[in-house]
Amino acid sequence: MLKPLSKDCWNYETAAHLLNRAGFGGTPEEIARLTGLGHDAALSSLLDYEKIPDPTPDPAWAVPDLGRAERIKAIQGMAPEAKRQAQQAEQRAQNQHIIELRGWWLDRMARGPRPFQEKMVLFWHGHFATSFDKVRDAYFMWRQNELFRRLATDYWLRLLTEAGKDPAMLIWLDQAQSRKEHPNENYAREVMELFSLGEGHYTETDVTEGARALTGWSLDRQTEQFIYRPFFHDNGDKTFLGLTGNLDGDDMMAQIVRQPQSAVFITGKLWNFFAGQPPSDDLNNALAEAFIDNARCFKPFLRVMFSSKEFYSDAIVRNQVKSPVQWLVGTTRMLQCDLPPAFICGAITRSLGQDLFAPPNVKGWDGGITWITTNTLLERYNDAATLVQGTTQQLSASDFALRPNGAGGLAQEKAAQRVHIGGVDLEKILAPDERADKDRLVAALQHRLLQSTLSNKQDEALRGFLDSRATLNDADIRNVIRLVMATPEYQVT
Amino acid sequence: MKNKITLQTRREFLRATVLGSALSWTVPTFLADTFMALHGAAADSATQIVTGKDATILVVLQMAGGNDGLNTVVPYSNDFYHNARPRIGQTADTVLKLNSDIGFHGAMTGFKNLYDSGNLAVVQGVGYPNPNRSHFRSTEIWQTASDSDVIEKYGWLGRYFDNACAGADPTVGVVVGRQLPESFFARTPTGICFDNPQNYRFMSPEHPQPGQTDMAEVAYEKLNETDMAGADDNSGASIGSLAAGMPMQGGKAVDFIERTALDAQLSSDEVRDIAARVQNQAVYPNSAFANSLKLVAKLIGGGLPTRIYYVSQGGYDTHTNQIATQQRLLADLGDSLKAFVDDMNAQGNMQRVLVMTFSEFGRRVSENANGGTDHGAAAPMFIVGNKVKAGLLGRYPSLAPQDLFEGDIKYNVDFRQVYAGVLESWLKTKSAPILGKQFEPLHVV
Repeated sequence: MLKPLSKDCWNYETAAHLLNRAGFGGTPEEIARLTGLGHDAALSSLLDYEKIPDPTPDPAWAVPDLGRAERIKAIQGMAPEAKRQAQQAEQRAQNQHIIELRGWWLDRMARGPRPFQEKMVLFWHGHFATSFDKVRDAYFMWRQNELFRRLATDYWLRLLTEAGKDPAMLIWLDQAQSRKEHPNENYAREVMELFSLGEGHYTETDVTEGARALTGWSLDRQTEQFIYRPFFHDNGDKTFLGLTGNLDGDDMMAQIVRQPQSAVFITGKLWNFFAGQPPSDDLNNALAEAFIDNARCFKPFLRVMFSSKEFYSDAIVRNQVKSPVQWLVGTTRMLQCDLPPAFICGAITRSLGQDLFAPPNVKGWDGGITWITTNTLLERYNDAATLVQGTTQQLSASDFALRPNGAGGLAQEKAAQRVHIGGVDLEKILAPDERADKDRLVAALQHRLLQSTLSNKQDEALRGFLDSRATLNDADIRNVIRLVMATPEYQVT
Repeated sequence: MKNKITLQTRREFLRATVLGSALSWTVPTFLADTFMALHGAAADSATQIVTGKDATILVVLQMAGGNDGLNTVVPYSNDFYHNARPRIGQTADTVLKLNSDIGFHGAMTGFKNLYDSGNLAVVQGVGYPNPNRSHFRSTEIWQTASDSDVIEKYGWLGRYFDNACAGADPTVGVVVGRQLPESFFARTPTGICFDNPQNYRFMSPEHPQPGQTDMAEVAYEKLNETDMAGADDNSGASIGSLAAGMPMQGGKAVDFIERTALDAQLSSDEVRDIAARVQNQAVYPNSAFANSLKLVAKLIGGGLPTRIYYVSQGGYDTHTNQIATQQRLLADLGDSLKAFVDDMNAQGNMQRVLVMTFSEFGRRVSENANGGTDHGAAAPMFIVGNKVKAGLLGRYPSLAPQDLFEGDIKYNVDFRQVYAGVLESWLKTKSAPILGKQFEPLHVV
């Protein structure tokens, strides 16, 4: 059983922890506001996001491209040189859109009114890890992203079923090509192994029988939508996880969600994502119980989780390595500065190890300490300088590495631009006395950026830098902000 | 004043101070790992402890995009070959003949030279069962050494680090490039990666005059310093619990990052120092790929305790106008490798170095309508070193139409047999724990 956090434990630190984890962090003012609301109301202000209008417009190109299938068919029949050029033009447009899509999503995380919803979308993207590298269609990637947003905290069965019928997923795990004559087992296997049950909780027979049940789930390239094709469906009896009959994909998903293990699996993963480490078996069982008690619906379950004493324990608070996205988005929220242009954001998170819409494989990102290597750590320390100090420069294509196969790669013409990154507006985040007084400055920055304090030795290091200056100018202050970000402590939340 | 800790003094520190006393979480990763390895507490008895300067070195060379093996190692007297490739087939008068059937592409004089001097093995017809023709997926299969229907989380080199390199400096694996390849993904993140050593550092905003102290740099170092003196009086973590649960169980994330920060600081200093100090002793071509090998040669010459270097040459996805592209790439590849071997010989390090190439797939036997070739399956691998079993290994795959599968040649050698051979006979470690099962090793040395 999960124990609720007692009322007198709700304070600035616990409020900051909730905002960091259920969102992407915020300013001291925002944390103070949450503290003042009390735990329940603070939770509602994050979780009941439906009540907050989100006017973000869709990307202009995010509409079905009904001519695409015809166009691609026509390209196939072209003369070699024309065909090559037409294919390149199609792919260039897609690559451009996926860059814009990354920026569009990161902007929702960084400035949108529903940070918790976006945090959930990020969870589902890492969970149902689908890559543009294979899907090759930015509209489908956007649709999947919107699906995760729409059902972010919905019922498990609805989400699992819809995720399987999603066009990007149908392409990604080959379900679109599955026929009763030769069922493709890819989705049947991964939906159990990676999305709902985990290894060891199904048999190879469940995979082959599940693949038969799934036949008929397909993609209509003309309308760019899911389609059920009765002619593809195997109407014979199947036995899947103990259930026998002429099962189809919907029956299969319902049978998966009925397994108590699927509650254990998904709540364990949610805990790991939000708390920063896998739960103990006892805790995982308690989480699964709470999930089942709440009709396997994520919203009420997560409310219980975020209300629990366990979530605020010493082993959890400030002990999660920030993901590259959390690091970037959180920095702009805490420092109240703008995100860099979309393609720079994409390059930053990619070089830090998290290329949105292109996870390394269907297992998603490993996360935790694997975000940190000697090079990604130095990258974080150096990217901090760019974000804080701001820069305007002429970039060349070679400033950004392309993936070997160019997925989402930066188009040459896009790179050969002047790039402006705003930097931090010091007057917005520091009071005049904090900018003038070294002690107050160091204290204010730790309060804002760490919600915690550095060691005495680190304090001395910052003071040593400041004391080498007779008076503080804005460049010095920006350098101190960057130095606070160039600590191991800033990499955790 | 900067109180510089060098890798050397850290090793001394290890021997003098840490052995036999309690270890703190604040001890850098590789020191703690070394300690464990020395004590054998967590290490498998077969594990070979990295011995730094004298150990063998593997350079993995990725030919990204899917190199056309048939026009690289050319079956120039084969009629099936010429029938399938009337436009782009390489003919007897241009190839560099190895025997009456087979010759290198005419641009590969560097390769021919290495072959004739007994420094090159060609493993013919390498692939894997149920080949995948997607760049993305097939690269992943080669990088993780998985079966084609299994998704592996970690790379084969990462598993090598996890299994056999407890006790390694962070520089045990070095990638010359912007991004860590999937083959380096590991349970415990290992290895460093940079394309320009000058960028692998903390970029200070200060521009001090010579003799002046860079106060931002001093602050950075101090902010990321690990209090090694604390190792003695820290009673929090006993040796036993350390050995039981590296790197993180019960540990704080921030302590892990602290150790990585120290690793970064030290390896950054060392890499930049070597790159500035060591000179290349051979003439390389002027290309980005040659520059990668030049850097590797410097790092080897400078004595970095690296076991695995990873370099990559791209552009092999030759769907159109293949002849000119492949000509340029293969010439660059062969000439750069030849220069690298000369450099290693001049350094006196050649006997320690083995280079292994791979590409995610070969290409379709029949040329396409655009003067190029489409994605295929099996292809040759090249192994360079002065201890290799020089010559042609395996046999050339049949090109007879009835022997093809969907227009592609079938493999004779599973690439994991080559990996197994390299792991066992060159890196001297058991291959089964790394490759997931026992493959019959193809002993290339």
